[in-house]
Amino acid sequence: MRIRGTFIEDTFAEAFTMRAARIIITARNLTWARHAATKLTGFATSVIACKCEASVDRELDPSETPDGRPGVSVLFMTMSKDDMSKRLIERIGQTVLTCPTTACFDGLPEAPDRVAVGSSLKFFGDGFQGSKVIHGERFWRIPVMEGEFLIQEKFGMQKAVGGGNFLILAETAEAALEAAEAAVSTMEGRAGVIMPFPGGIVRSGSKVGSRTSKTMIASTNDAFCPTLRVVTASQIPEGVNSVLEIVLNGLDTPAIEGAMRLGIDAACREGVRSITAGNYGGKLGPHHFYLRKIMG
Amino acid sequence: MADIVLTLKTALTHATDLSCVVPDRFAELSNLDLGNLPVWSAAAPRSPLRLGDLFAIEGERSSSVRVKGDCRLGDGLGREMRGGRLDIEGNVGSHCGTALQNGTIRVTGDAGDHLAGALPGASRGVVGGEIVVLGSAGAWVAERMRRGLVYVGGSTGEFAGRGMIAGTLVVGGQTGAGTGQGIKRGSLVSLGSIKPLDGFRLACTYRPPHVPLILTRLKMAFGARFTEAQVHGLYRRHSGDLAELGKGEILEWCTA
Repeated sequence: MRIRGTFIEDTFAEAFTMRAARIIITARNLTWARHAATKLTGFATSVIACKCEASVDRELDPSETPDGRPGVSVLFMTMSKDDMSKRLIERIGQTVLTCPTTACFDGLPEAPDRVAVGSSLKFFGDGFQGSKVIHGERFWRIPVMEGEFLIQEKFGMQKAVGGGNFLILAETAEAALEAAEAAVSTMEGRAGVIMPFPGGIVRSGSKVGSRTSKTMIASTNDAFCPTLRVVTASQIPEGVNSVLEIVLNGLDTPAIEGAMRLGIDAACREGVRSITAGNYGGKLGPHHFYLRKIMG
Repeated sequence: MADIVLTLKTALTHATDLSCVVPDRFAELSNLDLGNLPVWSAAAPRSPLRLGDLFAIEGERSSSVRVKGDCRLGDGLGREMRGGRLDIEGNVGSHCGTALQNGTIRVTGDAGDHLAGALPGASRGVVGGEIVVLGSAGAWVAERMRRGLVYVGGSTGEFAGRGMIAGTLVVGGQTGAGTGQGIKRGSLVSLGSIKPLDGFRLACTYRPPHVPLILTRLKMAFGARFTEAQVHGLYRRHSGDLAELGKGEILEWCTA
């Protein structure tokens, strides 16, 4: 299969089941909601070392938020249920609670599982906190120097998909980056999908384990490193000098498929030789995204 | 599940105890059973009337109930209600929603005294649910409320929220004397005029973050109307009653 001259490999992206929460941050204006969201999602690119993966899902109009203020929706993912509560308490406590004018709400009210967040953060109020139950949901009011911080007691959590991906194999580093930027630009803002790496793009795709260390759980994906073409079992075709990866997490497989379809299409441009995807032979992750099926 | 509709046949002429009108208990009753529910009225003090004598009853076995007609002499509707929805298209008398535990009550007209009140001698009144009166209400609204949301679109009489333990009372209009007396916790949100008692002290003027949630809920679920300035504007926070715990608050909307 070729799209505008770019070859689509007959392979699939292998993804994992994760747990997801959606955090809605509102503020006096979008600037402050963005400030909080940026900090909340900082250092949250990969569970390998960050313990969570998170990014802004999309920005919200006042009509879409619980308190009628501008907001930002953040998708937050971890590998286990237990991790979710810990990470949210740590991060919301240090980034959203601290940010002027913000409030924090659950964005997955229909999700089957609930994780306690506000009920732990309330203790910052040192006994001066109070709560309100509105339409069956409890919200904590934590007094802060600016006024009050409002946070929902529990957040919905559901199964999600992490690690959807595709690789852009290009003739030059410039062509790879331009194609990746175009892909990310097309996929950004789609509900239910995030790309947690910087700018949505990964230059250091990894393989499982390490040749030289038993303790490392991931190391460089040498098969796609152009500089190692002649010293490793390279998968880089002739004429390719740079590879970039797009990693996508989503609330479900259709969300990721839809985003991949748009992203791959946008990446198929001059200077891009082929598009492929990362997998482990189907042995590690239950979710398989076949590129040609998606683009068919 | 279709609504049960109670339509008043003729205007009530005497005080009438309508505390049998409780949606969650209607969920198991046939139309015949509903019609046979006993109703005590001052018009017939020696023997009870039947609900069917006073109301034309449509539907059965539903916890969603609509009452049509002027029931300003009808007392106790929704007493100790545990769930469901009670819509009253008109006025109601006193003691509507006493000791509400869950569910919603909506009154399009006015309500009498002791709206959302407590049972005699009980330490706590309403412990959950929502009561919305789009008109005005009498005295002693939300007395000893423990949890829940009560909204009165118009004015309230004296001693609204007296002895509140927690929960929220929102008043759109003027509040009477003694409002908030003896509250321990809880919020009294005043969108009209209020004169806090001496047991309250002004803490600050700010934007309470939970008020937009409450007003939006009232707007979306019950059709209450608020201005943008009321939803997102500034409020004076009076802490009190300092003769009690002092953890309660009167949030007085700053009109200017």
